[in-house]
Amino acid sequence: MKFTHRWLKEHLETPLTPHDVAARLTLAGLEVSRVEDLAQGLDKVQVGFLEAVDPHPDAQRLTVCRVRVGEERLQVVCGATNHRPGDKVAVARVGAHLPGGMEIAQSTIRGQTSAGMLCSLSELGLATSSDGILILPPTAPEGGPVAPLLGRNDHLLEVELTPNRGDCLGVLGIARELAALTDQALRPPAIDFSTDPRINESHPVQVRIEDGVACPRYAGRVITGVRIAPSPPWLRQRLEAVGLRAINNVVDATNYLMLDLGQPLHAFDLATLAPPIVIRGAWDGETLTTLDGVSRTLTPEMTLIADSRRPLALAGIMGGAESGVSETTTTLFLEAACFNPLRIARTGRHLGIQSDSRHRFERGVDPEGLRRALDRLTRLVLDLAGGQAGPGLLVDAGTLRPPPPIPFRHARAMQLAGVDLPRAEVQALLARLGCRKVSSEEGETELYQPPSYRLDLRREEDLVEEIIRVYGYDRVPSRLPVGPVAPPVADPLAAVAACGRRVLVGLGYLEAINFAFVNAGQLAAFTPEVIPLPLLNPISEEQGVMRTLLAPGLLEAARRNLSRGNDRLRLFEVGRVFLPEADGAVAEAERLGGLLCGSATGRAWHTPARAIDFFDLKGDVTALLAGFGLGDITYRPEGPAFLHPGRKAALLRGDVALGWLGQLHPALQVRFDLPLPLFLFEIDLERLVTTAKEASAPTISRYPAVARDFAFVVDVGLPAAALMQAIGQVAPDLTRAVNLFDLYTGEHLPPGRKSLGVEVVFQAADRTLTDAEVQGLVDAIVVAAQRQFAATLRGPA
Amino acid sequence: MRQQLEQLSHVAESELTQATTLTDLEQVRIRFLGRKGTLTQLLRGLSSVDPAERPLIGDLANRIKESFNQAHAARLETLQQQELETSLRREAVDVTLPGRDRLPGGIHPLTRAVEEISGFFRHAGFVTATGPEVESDWHNFEALNIPADHPARDMHDTFYLPPGPDGRRRVLRTHTSPVQIRFMEGRQPPLRVIAPGRVYRCDSDITHTPMFHQVEGFMVDKGVSFGHLKGLLEAFLRHFFARDLPVRFRPSFFPFTEPSAEVDMGCIFCQARGCRICKGSGWIEVLGCGMIHPVVLKNVGIDREVYSGFAFGLGVERMAMLKYRIDDLRTLFDNDTRFLRLHATV
Repeated sequence: MKFTHRWLKEHLETPLTPHDVAARLTLAGLEVSRVEDLAQGLDKVQVGFLEAVDPHPDAQRLTVCRVRVGEERLQVVCGATNHRPGDKVAVARVGAHLPGGMEIAQSTIRGQTSAGMLCSLSELGLATSSDGILILPPTAPEGGPVAPLLGRNDHLLEVELTPNRGDCLGVLGIARELAALTDQALRPPAIDFSTDPRINESHPVQVRIEDGVACPRYAGRVITGVRIAPSPPWLRQRLEAVGLRAINNVVDATNYLMLDLGQPLHAFDLATLAPPIVIRGAWDGETLTTLDGVSRTLTPEMTLIADSRRPLALAGIMGGAESGVSETTTTLFLEAACFNPLRIARTGRHLGIQSDSRHRFERGVDPEGLRRALDRLTRLVLDLAGGQAGPGLLVDAGTLRPPPPIPFRHARAMQLAGVDLPRAEVQALLARLGCRKVSSEEGETELYQPPSYRLDLRREEDLVEEIIRVYGYDRVPSRLPVGPVAPPVADPLAAVAACGRRVLVGLGYLEAINFAFVNAGQLAAFTPEVIPLPLLNPISEEQGVMRTLLAPGLLEAARRNLSRGNDRLRLFEVGRVFLPEADGAVAEAERLGGLLCGSATGRAWHTPARAIDFFDLKGDVTALLAGFGLGDITYRPEGPAFLHPGRKAALLRGDVALGWLGQLHPALQVRFDLPLPLFLFEIDLERLVTTAKEASAPTISRYPAVARDFAFVVDVGLPAAALMQAIGQVAPDLTRAVNLFDLYTGEHLPPGRKSLGVEVVFQAADRTLTDAEVQGLVDAIVVAAQRQFAATLRGPA
Repeated sequence: MRQQLEQLSHVAESELTQATTLTDLEQVRIRFLGRKGTLTQLLRGLSSVDPAERPLIGDLANRIKESFNQAHAARLETLQQQELETSLRREAVDVTLPGRDRLPGGIHPLTRAVEEISGFFRHAGFVTATGPEVESDWHNFEALNIPADHPARDMHDTFYLPPGPDGRRRVLRTHTSPVQIRFMEGRQPPLRVIAPGRVYRCDSDITHTPMFHQVEGFMVDKGVSFGHLKGLLEAFLRHFFARDLPVRFRPSFFPFTEPSAEVDMGCIFCQARGCRICKGSGWIEVLGCGMIHPVVLKNVGIDREVYSGFAFGLGVERMAMLKYRIDDLRTLFDNDTRFLRLHATV
């Protein structure tokens, strides 16, 4: 909502400067986002008198002008042709920095000095193009500033209104608000004019409301004998100052008063109408070409202003192209109506029309303001376009119920606000806002009737806000809450996420946060069998569906980093994935995903360079799970199809699948144009929470441990974990660790065999193991390995 | 014999001084005191000495032995010291060579901000709650007093999803406020809750990302007032930004609170003098809040005649950007490791 300071002052004699007005409104909840001095750049532009206009001696198209500015005389070279001696002109003096961007300096043009510039409207920033320089009226005071002559000695203010304050969508509303805040009275405008009852007979217009819910009230008036012409400068300037294009006197009058009163108004050319006027629902499929030239197909829940032949206007949203005012219009039918906010909102949204009218109606206009708006419009049209006004009509469908008074309990209100004001003060604050106390007795519950334009005031709490708003939020004393505090509730999922973050940060991982929506095609490359949840109105295809995996987002992050030369990547993300279920429901699962790629070592003087491989990934995942207290994880050689078939594993604890890890499938690496293999893991945090609960802490033995090394020769296809697990199961209570420290295949072994070097650490919880006991365990391990895997010992045990 | 002893002692002492390595020194000791050492052998002839002189000679031999041992020990220490110094010199490295690097990890600045925000409110007795990101129209809008076709819905650029199993419309939640509804449904005050989470709006430009983070907070109890809301949020902002900031509450509008407020704090970039960040106003808008609307309390079955409450919603991105001096919102979702590493340091 834009308005100017002078415009505001027509309603309210306020001593506040534009910036003070802005501050006061902002602190009352009408946030002023902009205050602009309209005279900015015009401070060095003065009214000059052209004493002489001579041809430039060395340039055909230029003139050399002698300009008198008060006591001073300037020589100015000018390229325009529309100026004559004796004209009053706008002279930009040396040093002026015009709104159009031009800076004025003393110059010499083809040998003639020029100490300024004679300005056109576009050079003054007041038009996009102009024909010649601006010639001011002869009455313009010579030597004075031009800004007031152009209506620019004013300030523009812009308010960001919240949707509840439809009453402030007119300058009158803003003035009313400021009057309440500063405890002043408004200045009522003059609306007197005479009407001619004979017009009812010469131009009978009847109005019938068919749908009283859609249109509770409708006011109209005929004006005959108008002359359509451009608006006078003051009106044009005012509309242009707030960003509206001036059209003609009648249309400008409706727009101006809409901006002034917040009540949308419309003027029909009566000659194009075939009364009676009917306010009705549209017929299904009925069409109307609106003022913007678009043909609209309508549905029955949309409301029309129609005549006996055709639709005229889309009620409350936009007028029709064929019934509007044109240059030849002589008889007007003026409309001021009240429409149902929800209907207007729905129609506007369906048709995608944003108009000033819709904006106001869907926020609610003052149902008691129709008559005044129509009268002010009448008066202004008569002033601007002449003519004779008819008596007018007001049709009330009887569907409006005056809002009931609001019960208000002083004590309760003060408790909610956290202030303690006397009853009389509260009553005075509310009175300033137009809320009348309608209960007479001094009981506990008072009754207040809000003004008809404050459709947002309906409850006690609304009045509480009004009271402290006018009193000042800043004056409400700040206090810390007191009272009972509930004991903290465990949040295992958050605890697990925090633990995962801690461990991964320690392992050198950086946390990434990706959008939860991804490109459908990209996701399908990972899991073609899953149909993800689509957004119905995505911003772009890149963000079209909800992710079912964290991996695609991490992959994109890796790709961006690699393209920027950040090539040693360890990234993780904690976030939700959205898993569609058969019945259309969606399960949200909290996941922890990671990605690593690039060099494991960097390029360094001390270590040969090595690329990250599967075992870096596995080592990190093992450490991560150990961080959750989970050492007993099975890595089963299987996993999602988007991973390398020989370099992937499912993470299991017992029967519970916790997630997976592996190298991105080389085919996908090619498809996504990645220069390096990526290694990925993903863990379901909810499952982790469940399973981690069951993990029991091992006891730490105080007795010495004994380590023995074995080198078993086994079949090359035997998974190392099988052998290690078998060793561990020989005497689980006495075996603390089974570590694989060597893997060898090669010439010293028979073909098809490999050697696994295993260190086994024995330790009892309750005693020191004897040599004989240890030897017994060693023998048992050898036997077990031989029996289960035909393992032979390569060296001494 | 006395003479021989004294000569032997003389020779031994001079050999000790001449020994320059630990091996040499050990050789000297063996030559003198070893099983076949010169002193040992000489003393074997002690029995042939006149018995009257024997104690004197024995005494002399012991003193010589003692003095040798002392001299040996001294020399040993010197040589050991020398040897240690040599070895230390040999082991010296160029400490200016780079170490074996470990690239440090770090949590995301948004996670850090959420933790700092949550930490404050946990200390103030608030418990953490969460809710789904795919929300029903009821929880995201209707229950929060945002009816369909109300202009307040235009404040939210909503992402819509296909209907769920019940045929009802679903949305990506546009704010964390639905957690208020979910938490209060079936619970009774006193309640103090914060709900951090991801939210979505169909808006993407230099100052908006379609996904962002909020922390919702609310408290419901007997006698909770707007003054309590002010006190708590002022304390929070001063704690979070670790300075004594001016804080102001401006009336505003949210359908689910009444009275409602926007909270501004003095611009931390220009000490409230006015700069580019605060658009010259000296104030930065940081959060929205208010007293929970009676319709919301009614929707969750809490008696507004007995209880009142406040609620607030913080934009995590904004808080993080202000506190950690991040000037471009989009860098928060770009995941460039240089940025992440820069902001991983606390």
